[in-house]
Amino acid sequence: MAFVNLQNVTYKYPLTKTPVLQNINLQIQEGEFVSVVGPNGAGKSTLCYTLAGFVPHFFKGEISGSIEVAGMESSKSTLDEWVMNVGLAFQNPFNQISGAKYTVFEEIAFGLENTGVPRDEIKVRVDEAMRLTDITDLADRSPYSLSGGQQQRVALTSILVMQPKLLVLDEPTSQMDPIGTREVFSVIRKLAEGGMTVVMVEHKMEWIANFADRVIALKDGQILLEGKPNEVLTSDVLAENGFGLSRYTSTAREAKKQGLWKKENLPVTLDEAVKGFKK
Amino acid sequence: MHERLSFYVKRDSVIHSLNPLTKVYLTLSLILITFTSPWYWTPHLLVLIAIIPLGLIGKVGVEFFKAAIRLILPAAGFLFLMQAFFQPLGEDVIFKFYFLDVTQESMMFAFRNAMRVFVMVSAFTFLLLTTHPSELMSDLSRRGLPGQFAYVIISTLQILPQMQAKAQTIIAAQRSRGLDTESSFLKRMGLLTPLIGPLVFSSLAEVEERAIAIEARGFTSKRPKTSLHQIPDTKFDSTLRGVLILLVILSIALKLWLS
Repeated sequence: MAFVNLQNVTYKYPLTKTPVLQNINLQIQEGEFVSVVGPNGAGKSTLCYTLAGFVPHFFKGEISGSIEVAGMESSKSTLDEWVMNVGLAFQNPFNQISGAKYTVFEEIAFGLENTGVPRDEIKVRVDEAMRLTDITDLADRSPYSLSGGQQQRVALTSILVMQPKLLVLDEPTSQMDPIGTREVFSVIRKLAEGGMTVVMVEHKMEWIANFADRVIALKDGQILLEGKPNEVLTSDVLAENGFGLSRYTSTAREAKKQGLWKKENLPVTLDEAVKGFKK
Repeated sequence: MHERLSFYVKRDSVIHSLNPLTKVYLTLSLILITFTSPWYWTPHLLVLIAIIPLGLIGKVGVEFFKAAIRLILPAAGFLFLMQAFFQPLGEDVIFKFYFLDVTQESMMFAFRNAMRVFVMVSAFTFLLLTTHPSELMSDLSRRGLPGQFAYVIISTLQILPQMQAKAQTIIAAQRSRGLDTESSFLKRMGLLTPLIGPLVFSSLAEVEERAIAIEARGFTSKRPKTSLHQIPDTKFDSTLRGVLILLVILSIALKLWLS
């Protein structure tokens, strides 16, 4: 059975008129790295909240269909149980800082204290997590004194340290520079190879193509397209539906119209573009 | 770098290594004794035998002195003047100031009250200088204070400076678009009103996200919580707390007995 299994999920927030998610069917295997793309208002964040249990346990509203993650069934479990299995980090790093802690080290330890991990183990795990995301040098700084990109790393580390089985990330690199983005993607790739299941909303198409196993294109609360990154991210359906394509895809698309791109498939990354144009 | 709302000064002293609750007891008992002791000179004596030595032992003498000069003495001084002039006590007029009589009794009365306030504010200052707020809160939650309550206190201390910084940003942004900052006070207040909306509403919107973020980290988890820092609580702490309680009881008893 799939690790994540959504069947006909339709969800409406209490104050919206139309459903934000419509008939979502989604299966994800354990250890898979899935990326979600889509224009603003497509329901990406709501999908993240659903996977992390916040829909319907935190946000009320109307929900139908069945949601199963890591053997838990949404209607038969509590948010407390979900939190132990699913980690959620989202876009705005500033709001993810608890405000209860004075140093980055304490901030990362917050989740472990709350879930009753013994003191010695907390220290080991926080150290380990900070090494993983390369923020050991920030340990004694105040979380509020950091830059946006550094805060995002702290937010990500604060979730990773809880060792979730499913990691849900909503644009976790939006405020990072290209080097930071690459590092975070590599770390997540490594974790997925180690067995962690990852769902990541992201706009940076080149990175998705390089790292993700599968891409889901979401529009108006429905899954428009699903498949291997290179197929989905270069598809005409995406271009016609107002998704942002990678600059290499856009360039090659234009070039193809003028007969300058000879290959069948369009590129997503710089490497692919270079190879394609050389031929 | 944002400033945070904390007076804590990190030092290595006997006082700093006391249990935070012991320091709260110390502060409260100083205040209670000051206000209940029947003996006139108690507040003055406490400054000499408790407040000043504690500041020195806690190695926060300089910070304490600064706070005293800037904040505590002016407040106590003002109180002294008000009470000396306006207390209709006694007959023994020392001097007249227009229609106001200053008597020896009113002077004495004012002096004691000013000293009481001085001790009270000093004791709190001393507590704030030597106790880290998060240490105090985690000690209290360990003793059964609800986690939510501790969170509200600590996060307010941290988030207020953030809101202040945000208000500055909004004002700077408006100023760069021609907000009037030179005209009369009342007119400027009127112009600032529209800025309050965005500040309040954006802060409210943040609350939901922050709630999700801490919930995702098991904030309301039913599991028994642990704490990263081991907070010292020695035999000496509990003995000291016992002694302090006894002193307070003694002071109140004396007051009741003598009056």
